Amino acid sequence: MSRFRELIGIALAGIAARKVRTLLILLGPIVGVAAMVGAVGLTESAKGDLKARLAELGTSLITVEAASSFGSQNPTLPQNAVRRVSAIGSVDSAAAVGEIRNVVTLPNEGGAEYYQAFPVPVLSTDTALPAVLQVPLRSGRWISTADQRNRTKAAVVGAGLAEQYGVLPGEIRTIRLNGEDFGVVGVLERVALDANLDNAVFVTPYAAKEYLGADSTAPTKMYVRAAEGATQEVADAIPTAVALGGSKEVTTSIPSDALEASAQADKTLQQTALFAGLLALAVGGLGIANVMSISVIQRSSEIGIRRALGSTRLLIGLQFLFEALFVGLLGGLLGAVLGVGVVYLVSAIAGWVVVIDYAKMPIWIGLAVGVAVAAGLYPSIKAARLEPLETLRLG
Amino acid sequence: MILSEPGATLLELAHVSRVYGEQVKVYALRDVSLQIRAGDHMAIIGPSGSGKSTMLGLLGVLDRPTDGTVTVAGEDTGALPDDERSRLRGDTIGFVFQQFHLIPHLAAVDNVATALLYRGLSRSERRDRSMEALESVGLGARADHRPVQLSGGEQQRVAIARALVTRPLLVLADEPTGALDSKNAEMVMEIFAGLQSAERAVVLVTHDHNVAATANRVVSMRDGGIVSDVTQTPTPFRGPS
Repeated sequence: MSRFRELIGIALAGIAARKVRTLLILLGPIVGVAAMVGAVGLTESAKGDLKARLAELGTSLITVEAASSFGSQNPTLPQNAVRRVSAIGSVDSAAAVGEIRNVVTLPNEGGAEYYQAFPVPVLSTDTALPAVLQVPLRSGRWISTADQRNRTKAAVVGAGLAEQYGVLPGEIRTIRLNGEDFGVVGVLERVALDANLDNAVFVTPYAAKEYLGADSTAPTKMYVRAAEGATQEVADAIPTAVALGGSKEVTTSIPSDALEASAQADKTLQQTALFAGLLALAVGGLGIANVMSISVIQRSSEIGIRRALGSTRLLIGLQFLFEALFVGLLGGLLGAVLGVGVVYLVSAIAGWVVVIDYAKMPIWIGLAVGVAVAAGLYPSIKAARLEPLETLRLG
Repeated sequence: MILSEPGATLLELAHVSRVYGEQVKVYALRDVSLQIRAGDHMAIIGPSGSGKSTMLGLLGVLDRPTDGTVTVAGEDTGALPDDERSRLRGDTIGFVFQQFHLIPHLAAVDNVATALLYRGLSRSERRDRSMEALESVGLGARADHRPVQLSGGEQQRVAIARALVTRPLLVLADEPTGALDSKNAEMVMEIFAGLQSAERAVVLVTHDHNVAATANRVVSMRDGGIVSDVTQTPTPFRGPS
């Protein structure tokens, strides 16, 4: 063990003694590892915001829509679709909305011409929707059972519509739906998994029917939250549960699937950059082999005197191999730091969410060490084979 | 450290030949026999090409003879594997070279400590013993200087400290004053004069007769053989000849 420590000391002193040379041979591992860490980090970070949102939203939400079968222009789900779906074992919660057609929505009396150009979906909803979506309210409150019971003209608007209409948090204001003033009681936060809801107005089923003239309060779309890990299984069971042998057809989708797909890093780009990093590492390895071979010749006197003082061939070889190992280790560590720095810098400039897999760092650094040790093998053997008598120039 | 008794044979060359070349054989040494005993302060002298350097390589266990045996501290070095020869060399022989051969990036004390590596000594033990050796050659105050910051004479004294720090049975010096001016040469020879001990031997390989005069035994070489081996009364060093 003390011999091992002595070897480490000699190798480190050898590296520290020739700073320029060491810096030059460090460049290979530094550039190689920085390129690999940067390649993976940047390609992942470019999709980092999607990944972060996905992690936040989870992958257990299912949307259910009535399929437009032949002859049915405005398909709806059964009135009790939520109850039917809730009967499925792995369903945690479900909520439905019903789209009310032909509602003219305006922020106020004026500006009718401008705002009518943007059709706004108006949805009758039940009280569980934010909980099922796992989306909080940006301000105010959600539609309550009291609103339904008291027949209030209460409305909640999506975050996008609120911004468009200039709704301020906590502000007492109204919007006009088919000429009727509705009090805006809350603003729903953005719904990443269904952006349509961001521009929607939500009202009670009573208001939909009585004040906005909806033909039916039957839901047109349903949101179902499945138990963790059972999403696909629930999605497969929903059509049968909703139809229950009837003629209603539904389509289900898992909106996080699309998000998940788009959150995948560009593998081709990542592999190309990784290959470039490996190439840099390999070239760096050649540099190490080259510079160390020259170094062995330059240090032949040192090798000779160490041999004369009792060092064995193995110890001389190990001394040079340890130098190569430390070059790889130091280069790998510096490269990793540089790579992480680049990822942070570029992400800050581009506005990405930084995604770095620190668990993979030992692999990149280990690669650098492996390449450096392989590159140092030949010079080490060369050093070990030097005859002290040839290097000491006696007489 | 291997201990020896006064007068004991420390190193013996028996009918040693060293031949270079495969097709055309050149005898650098031919049938040489020599005993080096504890207490010897020997000078090996001869002109260029006489076989001095070859002799030094064999005495220092840095080379293997073509014929004959080299015995160091009772061990036939020819039969030993390379690692064992390294160990034996490190344990029994201290080298001083004409070109000093100090490691440039190490301080004087670390150069001396190089001889104590791989012996199971702690860093502080190595440093203490190296400091002791440096002080014995009057360089305690220059311990943390690198070779480039030392004069030629000081570098040679560091090399002598490195040779002595392992307390070797045999100190082998190859033209120790060859690269020094007369003042530094005198200082170095003074140190060598002080090395005479009944427990160890000092061998100076030189072509300088004034260096040889400081020895109590002079071996003269010519054409790969020993032409004379005489004992004498040492005289103080009178400067390089």
